[in-house]
Amino acid sequence: MSTNGKIKVATMWLSGCSGCHMSFLDLDERLLELGKAIDLKASPIVDIKFDQIPEVDVGIVEGCVNNNEQEEHLRHLRDRCKILVALGDCAIMGNVPALRNQFPVDAVLQRGFVETESTQIGEIPMDPVMPRLLAKARPLKEIVKVDVSIPGCPPDADTIWYALTELLAGRMPKWDERNLKYD
Amino acid sequence: MNATQTITLTINGKVCEGRAGQTILEVATANDIYIPTLCWMKDRSPWGGCRMCIVEVAGSPKVVPACATPAVAGSQITTNSPRLHNLRRMTLELLFSERNHICPICPMNKGDCGLQHQAYLHGVDSIRFPYLYPALPMDVSGRYFGLDHNRCILCTRCVRTCDEIEGVHTLDIANRGERNLIVVDMHATFGTSETCTSCGACVAACPTGALFDKAQTYRGKLHTCTVVKTTCPECPVGCGLAVYTRENRIVEVFGDPESPLCAGHLCRKGRYETWAEPRRRITQPMLRHNGELKPVSWDEALAHIRRVRDATPVWESVLLASPRLTNEAGQAIHRVADKLDRVGVWLAPNEGALVEAPEPLADVRRQLTEADAFILLGVQPSRDHGLIASYVRRGVRQRQARLIILNCRRSDLDRYADIAVREVSLERAFWAQVAEVLRDVQRPVLLYGTEAMTPIGVAVLERLLAVFEQKASGEAPALIGLPIGTNSIGLVAAGLEAVEDVGSWLDAKPVRYLHLVLGDDHTLGERWFEEKYRALMLETLDLLVVQASYESPLTAHAHVVLPACTWAEKTGTVTNFEGRTLPLKPVIPVRGQARDDAAIVEAVYA
Repeated sequence: MSTNGKIKVATMWLSGCSGCHMSFLDLDERLLELGKAIDLKASPIVDIKFDQIPEVDVGIVEGCVNNNEQEEHLRHLRDRCKILVALGDCAIMGNVPALRNQFPVDAVLQRGFVETESTQIGEIPMDPVMPRLLAKARPLKEIVKVDVSIPGCPPDADTIWYALTELLAGRMPKWDERNLKYD
Repeated sequence: MNATQTITLTINGKVCEGRAGQTILEVATANDIYIPTLCWMKDRSPWGGCRMCIVEVAGSPKVVPACATPAVAGSQITTNSPRLHNLRRMTLELLFSERNHICPICPMNKGDCGLQHQAYLHGVDSIRFPYLYPALPMDVSGRYFGLDHNRCILCTRCVRTCDEIEGVHTLDIANRGERNLIVVDMHATFGTSETCTSCGACVAACPTGALFDKAQTYRGKLHTCTVVKTTCPECPVGCGLAVYTRENRIVEVFGDPESPLCAGHLCRKGRYETWAEPRRRITQPMLRHNGELKPVSWDEALAHIRRVRDATPVWESVLLASPRLTNEAGQAIHRVADKLDRVGVWLAPNEGALVEAPEPLADVRRQLTEADAFILLGVQPSRDHGLIASYVRRGVRQRQARLIILNCRRSDLDRYADIAVREVSLERAFWAQVAEVLRDVQRPVLLYGTEAMTPIGVAVLERLLAVFEQKASGEAPALIGLPIGTNSIGLVAAGLEAVEDVGSWLDAKPVRYLHLVLGDDHTLGERWFEEKYRALMLETLDLLVVQASYESPLTAHAHVVLPACTWAEKTGTVTNFEGRTLPLKPVIPVRGQARDDAAIVEAVYA
């Protein structure tokens, strides 16, 4: 809890399409209400580098872990947040980015950078500063401890609102057939 | 134990009645108590593999699968408890972690998927086990459906359906443990399988998106579709169809579970040829002008026909109809018959004797499900009446029914037959062999088709009946005649002349005006040209009117093309092989300017 009494929140975007963040913005006028209760300390929409993320109460992560950089970012956030929320199917189960898990990394890179139909002269980037693909795209919970999962691809605004308001009220969201949705 | 003996047991504290021999699941369902299931399916043998239906029985430390455990009088059963909920949830999580179940890109997403539904019911928000992400293949080599192993939960509903309903056992499970895989034949594909009949019952049985109909994929969730029940237009069996439509398009066709003969099962023709074939639809009248067919209005097309008819003597005017037309279209044709020299319905060779005033059949389903011997005489159920073929396979494979196939072409049924002979000999030794096979048979069924109506066929039939007369015990065979044309019986009854040999029928007298009423027949267009001279004959006509739903070589030769409704747009009735009158109901609105066959005939001869 920050000095102004607000809950401190950071969000992070790993291997995902940003649809979950878009869905978060779909909270529309409820964002104003949320703004009274939370302090957004870091997010892809506020341009703060990952190593500047301060200690927060809630960390919300969209996307799965696909490369070593994302793994580092995720561990960093985990160390600085009390509750880690996996937002959306990619963060929870890998989802579409995990489709590549059936193939060896070399084949994936070859396909993506060289064989794509629109590519004329392609090459696989080899610069050592580039993030390195992990052998498999992994859900968050295979890397760090996850406290809350919000399923959906993306979770719709109502689902996100339900989960956040429950957390703000000091409760864990409960999932059943009325609010679960994997698509 | 008496099978109808009533037993009483307690489920969730409620006193429930059941019959001895029922499973816990059956008793619970009959008493409105829900037990989740995934691998269980009505009319299939219980498998007990998915472990969703586990229940607690008082006094037993183990949980038991309700679908495969007989209900015992006096037992106390709990179907829902925290322990059961957690076990079921864990089972679901294991299923999700084992394969690549990616809901957002699956065609069964949004409520059609049994796995997703159960996961929702059990609050699965994440999976506690590491995902295996196995590299699994897809088989999309089949014409109508594909198999995506990524989405398979190995419930074996497809395997049991293929084995127990269609009776071909194309599908089974290979390997062990996490390598379990549904296989087609012995590691064949749907495209290369020698046993698959493409009936699609496996797809209808699949609770996930593992088996999917290509034409249905991504065309909308089934549970939000409009469902209309109508009659299959493809053969004289007349199975009930449940047609799923969305935004005036057919999305899926399944068998109607309430239809007395098919009980939800269809053959390839009903399930797919009705809608999943690419065909070019005719949606407006066309008139040949300077050698080319040009779209015209109905009035222009009808006026042109009238002009030519006025100049053509009635005795040179002929109408020939497809056996797929409705009774109502047949009656409309009969009403205008005096304006033409001859009106006929195009039957298969030797089909006439089979369809002229046949005796109505009763109790066919019971006969087929209880038969302990099938004799096929001059009939091709695998090709022409897929549902009947499935009854024969079920009888032979499940009840060890005898099977004798006489005067039939080669088919997959031969492999199940005690005797399969294409050209029957009248020698004593052969008939002694037939008598030996039929010796202990009590409830035989004789299925006969067009080739039983030939002189040889009739001779064989007489021999067969003589065999039965000399038998010491058992009923006389139930005689079931199977015509080929969907509504041959109804159209001949409506007064159309049965035409088996179109060539000689047309050659009998000079013809200058020919009206072909094809309706939605998608085979006659090609059949016409199987004999070369019929193509030449078209050159001698003053006017060829082709009334059809689909483009064919015949419409390409026509002077006038009139667009007709398909089965999915028609109202009317057909008469099936039992003599039952079955309704066709409009499923989708009429496309373009197409009209009903009866209305077109009335307009042309008004």
